[in-house]
Amino acid sequence: MFLALREMRRAVVRFGLLVAAIGLLVFLILFQQALQDGLLTSFVGAIRNQSAPVLVYSVDAQRTLQGSTIPPELERQVRGAEGVGRSARLNQSTFTIRIGEEGDSDAAIIGTDDQELVRPTTLTAGRRPEREGEAVGSDGDFRLGARVAVVGSPGVRPAEVTVVGLAEDLQLSVTPTLFTDLDTFRAASMAVNPGATAMLPNAIAVAPADGASAERVAASINSVAPDADALTRGDAADNSPGVAQVRQSFQVIFLLYGLVVPLLTGLFFLIITLQKAGSLTLLRAIGARASVLAGSLLLQVGIVMGLGLAVGVGLFYPLSRTGVGGLSLRFDATAVLAWSALLLGLGLLSALASLRRVLRIDPIEATSGPGVR
Amino acid sequence: MSSSPALRMEGVRKTYQVADEEIVALDRADLVVGGDEIVALIGPSGSGKTTLCSIAGGLLTASQGTVVVGGNDISDYTSRQLTDFRRTSVGFVFQSVNLVPFLTARENLLVVSELVGRGGRRRRKDAVARTAELLDELGLADRADNLPAQLSGGQRQRVAIGRALMNGPDLVLFDEPTSALDSQLGDQVVKLIRDEMKDRGTAAIIVTHDDRITHYADRTVRIEDGRISA
Repeated sequence: MFLALREMRRAVVRFGLLVAAIGLLVFLILFQQALQDGLLTSFVGAIRNQSAPVLVYSVDAQRTLQGSTIPPELERQVRGAEGVGRSARLNQSTFTIRIGEEGDSDAAIIGTDDQELVRPTTLTAGRRPEREGEAVGSDGDFRLGARVAVVGSPGVRPAEVTVVGLAEDLQLSVTPTLFTDLDTFRAASMAVNPGATAMLPNAIAVAPADGASAERVAASINSVAPDADALTRGDAADNSPGVAQVRQSFQVIFLLYGLVVPLLTGLFFLIITLQKAGSLTLLRAIGARASVLAGSLLLQVGIVMGLGLAVGVGLFYPLSRTGVGGLSLRFDATAVLAWSALLLGLGLLSALASLRRVLRIDPIEATSGPGVR
Repeated sequence: MSSSPALRMEGVRKTYQVADEEIVALDRADLVVGGDEIVALIGPSGSGKTTLCSIAGGLLTASQGTVVVGGNDISDYTSRQLTDFRRTSVGFVFQSVNLVPFLTARENLLVVSELVGRGGRRRRKDAVARTAELLDELGLADRADNLPAQLSGGQRQRVAIGRALMNGPDLVLFDEPTSALDSQLGDQVVKLIRDEMKDRGTAAIIVTHDDRITHYADRTVRIEDGRISA
């Protein structure tokens, strides 16, 4: 510790620059991690954060709610599959809405005939809908009590929805989203298309019967109904179009960071180890055990990585309170801890080359070492 | 101070294998250095002076023979034992790299105690006191907080001497201590070495090319082609 701390104190700028560089990289990693999470949540938050354990699409819908249609025969097969407990119809569509004097915008409305089975898992404000014309809205997009008018065809009276509850992470396809009952959804649809007669469900939401798991029920439905694509809630979210591609793109970025951080740290410590080879040889000659010098090196790596992580987290934290555009950048303590542990581990691993050099120093070189001090 | 010899080398041989050829660096060397004796070791380049000193200081192990320093037979010490021996029983002043550049004069002395890594507050307190005493004796009290780069060549050598004395060694080994100094400064440093060794009753071997240094030694030992001749 004596050597490690004194060297760092005498080379504050050098070590400070490394800490700053690592701090910025950590900030970028955390920022991109939050961006990825925010982006994916905006894509599929409404699916991930609703309560039905299994969602059944039509097989040709490519796992999108709006592209799926469940005909009566398929609905009957689904409801009759082994392990299916409770089930509900689910409809979703995107509408043009207007709130008060604000201009028109788009919103997804998800309607169901069983609001106990299909509902946002947690509310951040307000209550759940109790009657027709009430909805829970995504909390970044609506305010409690807002009266949302679904803009209909010319001459048709707009349908009205009142936001009585708010929930976070409830968007679908990066669109403000309302969860309501099927009658309210139907009223919105009729406002847009007054001539519509029958309205088939887009999906069937299923809760497993007692003793059955969501995975087993999904498999059971898929085996009895070839035209169905039953997915657990998590799979439905993860397999939505674009999610895998977004995740893959970010993973490539994370992999690059995972290489840059240890490379930067490793090269820095290798350079300073080479630069102070004479001092290390002298210390070995006067009786420093190799383990003491190795410990000193690892302590420096640990301190630099620790400070870099602190700088990165310190930069990211205030930003996570604000968000970027419509995306919320959440400070996910688990992700921060996981990245910290990973980067610390990689940082220490990156010091292996320097460590090897330190451990291979032959003290006899002090009798012929270069440089006069 | 001590009546027993600081160093006893008997039949010490050091060889290196280079391809199929055996190079003899030190050949059946016998040397006894008294408890407070200062020995000047002279000889041409490549004669085995540094090899002899390195074996006496536990930097190298002998291929054959017995090496006893301060009553401890180090002939069969392991690498780890030799490391501990160097830290506790001998002092070194090398020809080239002598000080750690990122440590002040005071810290270059304190580091010897810190390398032990044990003993806690008491050891630290003793080391701080001993450091202050040594720097004062060496005329460096006012330069204690200077980095080596801020010291003159002579001051740096004095700090190195202080560091070599920090662990209260049985034997101090000086490898060409004046080679980087002009003749006047060299003279001062050698005189300082003599005074410090004699004051403490510590034995020393001074490896040198410089015949003038022999005047300050109690005895001169000549080495040539790995053989001690007188």
